[in-house]
Amino acid sequence: MSIRSGYHEKLLHVDLTEGRSEERRLSEAFLDRFIGGRGFGAKLVWDNLAAHDYKIDPMGAENLLVIAPGPLTGLYLPSSGKCSLITLSPATGIYGDSSIGGSFGVELRQTGFDALAVAGRAPELSFLFIDDGEVTIQAMPELKGKSCLETEGLIKERLGTHELNVASIGPAGENGIRFACVNADWSRNAGRTGMGAVMGSKNLKAVVVRGSRDLPVQDISGLRRESEKAYAYMSGHKYFKMWQREGLMNVMEYANAHGFLPTHNFKDATFTRIKNINGDTMLASYKISDSACFSCSMCCGNVCLVKQGKYMGTVTEGPEYESCAMLGSNLGVDDFAAVLAANRLCDELGMDTISTGNLVGAVIEGYEKGILSLDDLDGDPLTWGDDEAILRLIHKIGRREGIGDALADGSAALVRRWPDMDPVVLQVKGLEQSAYDSRAASSMALAYATSDIGAHHTRAWTIAKELEEGQDWSDEQKVDLVIYHQTLRPLFDMLGVCRLPWIELGLNERHYANFYQLVTGNELTLPDLLERSNEVYNLTRAVNARLGMSRKDDILPYKVYACPVQTGPTAGRIIDREEFSRLLSLYYRKRGWNEDGLPQSPEESAAP
Amino acid sequence: MPKKIAVIPELCSGCRICELVCSMEHFGVNNPKKSAIRVVVTYPQPVARMPIVCSQCGFPACAEACPVDALKQRDGLVVLDEGECISCMKCVEACPFGAIYAHAEVDHPIKCDLCGGSPQCVAHCPKAALRLIPEQALGEAKRISNVLSYAHMKEIVFIEEGKEKTIQYAEIGKEEL
Repeated sequence: MSIRSGYHEKLLHVDLTEGRSEERRLSEAFLDRFIGGRGFGAKLVWDNLAAHDYKIDPMGAENLLVIAPGPLTGLYLPSSGKCSLITLSPATGIYGDSSIGGSFGVELRQTGFDALAVAGRAPELSFLFIDDGEVTIQAMPELKGKSCLETEGLIKERLGTHELNVASIGPAGENGIRFACVNADWSRNAGRTGMGAVMGSKNLKAVVVRGSRDLPVQDISGLRRESEKAYAYMSGHKYFKMWQREGLMNVMEYANAHGFLPTHNFKDATFTRIKNINGDTMLASYKISDSACFSCSMCCGNVCLVKQGKYMGTVTEGPEYESCAMLGSNLGVDDFAAVLAANRLCDELGMDTISTGNLVGAVIEGYEKGILSLDDLDGDPLTWGDDEAILRLIHKIGRREGIGDALADGSAALVRRWPDMDPVVLQVKGLEQSAYDSRAASSMALAYATSDIGAHHTRAWTIAKELEEGQDWSDEQKVDLVIYHQTLRPLFDMLGVCRLPWIELGLNERHYANFYQLVTGNELTLPDLLERSNEVYNLTRAVNARLGMSRKDDILPYKVYACPVQTGPTAGRIIDREEFSRLLSLYYRKRGWNEDGLPQSPEESAAP
Repeated sequence: MPKKIAVIPELCSGCRICELVCSMEHFGVNNPKKSAIRVVVTYPQPVARMPIVCSQCGFPACAEACPVDALKQRDGLVVLDEGECISCMKCVEACPFGAIYAHAEVDHPIKCDLCGGSPQCVAHCPKAALRLIPEQALGEAKRISNVLSYAHMKEIVFIEEGKEKTIQYAEIGKEEL
């Protein structure tokens, strides 16, 4: 082990209660073992949990929020704009993390810190300003209730410059919406597991960074040479131009054709009016600009404008696939302009589009089935595709008004208040399901059930591969693929890069081990890095086990077992309980966890 | 014939690869703040992404402002003589585009030198939003997009080898013109 470069070797620790900050040195052993990003976060969150006798209220001052880019963030290599936020999640009560693109993490690294850890609670609404190593906590109560976009603008105005980065929360974060997100670069979001709610609970309206330092690299000419090869591979790929043009919106047609597009709250898996909300429609009438994250040649982001009709004038960064599916087909909305308006509203409130789309879908279905009364809906009836009523409901969630107050605490709270809603909501461990219908592929169901943050697809996204190649896969092949994804994909979050060049264009993962070596001088191979990522997975499992999670929680939403897909190529599919239980046992065995899903020696994963 | 960097902001995705390659080329470091080109993004009003880089002006305001004549027009390039430069950064403030940059760790203003004739930002832009073109070609992208967006364009649809095709044309001499 010999780390020669790649880090500033410094963590900034801020205590908002005391109004103090201090630099903490990061040891070589720590850097080598946890790499960066979510690796740093998992370790720091575990240590904080242990220091509080394994009892932490995610919304309490004692919860620690870690913001950590990785050693590759901001470097000249494909898609290096990623930064992770890690904490105990108010959405689930367990380990949570979420990553954000754009350039916030790059600028954070340029301030001279490898990561930021925030504890405590500010006496009044404030923002944290890290200006090239100079740290201030500035009260700005007038930001109360301001949207993310307004907040970014007002802070830039107050500091008298637009050349800095702001990661902020909107009203949803301030109001403790359990799935509030953190917004930077105007409309990039750390969307999942309620990072915004944690900032809100700390009275932290924004983290502002301005940095000018070199990002340390051991072998810059070697890195440049290797990166040129990777960029050249990407631009030569047959789908490269399509990614530049459509970005993630291309997944709409793919998901529809393969029968896993969330439709009518996951009742259907194809949408008859898909043509109105697909990539072609976006390109023909709405897209006005590409939007790339830092150093990314694929530029999967789109900026759209509604040029006519009742939503005329709506500008939105996005939608990407998840937002379009969850706010479009999942709610029966076939007007792309309405999807844009809903996406924009979520961005302004600072609220996760995936959880929002799930909850609104559940309310529509609940009302349709008579589980929820018109009174429960505050007298405002809600049906599939009723975009205006849907927008009103989203607004109510963000402001905790009427039924929005009950939805603001997420699906678990929803079910507590209306127990009959249990079969209607799709969530695992309290986190609402991503926009891939897992009934189409049992490996995807296993991925959701065993993801360390709940039903999200970041850890493992095996659905496309299983549908394309896996009709005759054995249990073992499925489990192996899930575990490989859960090991490799989090490694991207540790290194601080995006996984899309790998998953979508097939950029070989060995490139990243090369990059890591050239940047740090530390001779770790891909298997070495994967082993470290696997240890972090064991560690987050240990965090969750300490918080009471076990096999009983690695389960699937009711619909996945009980309600067959209604339409399309996957019609009739459900996940068989026995098959799932068998996959789960095999999964535990392969991970070296016991039959109840508990890691053998959790403390070991957390050393040193 | 001197060439210029043409910027087509409509094509820029805001990825900032240009900043990275510039800092590596000139300073051997990975630092977007040490580059002679920067992408400025505004949102949501207006929605714009624009790389700001030296235009190598024929009558450079930076040279005008320089108290020691360290900036000179030479072969279509505005050249900074670092031996003469006293690092007062007057040129940084004088440039009407903000296309000269300063950094605390760099002794002199950071100014585009077209990488000796083969600008790396142009070579690495994944969207071809930066182009190196002869001076007389400046504005060509605007001219063609102006023609294509001409509001009074007529259109006919016809079938050729079983496929529907369209031709657009600007008909001359009609009253609405």
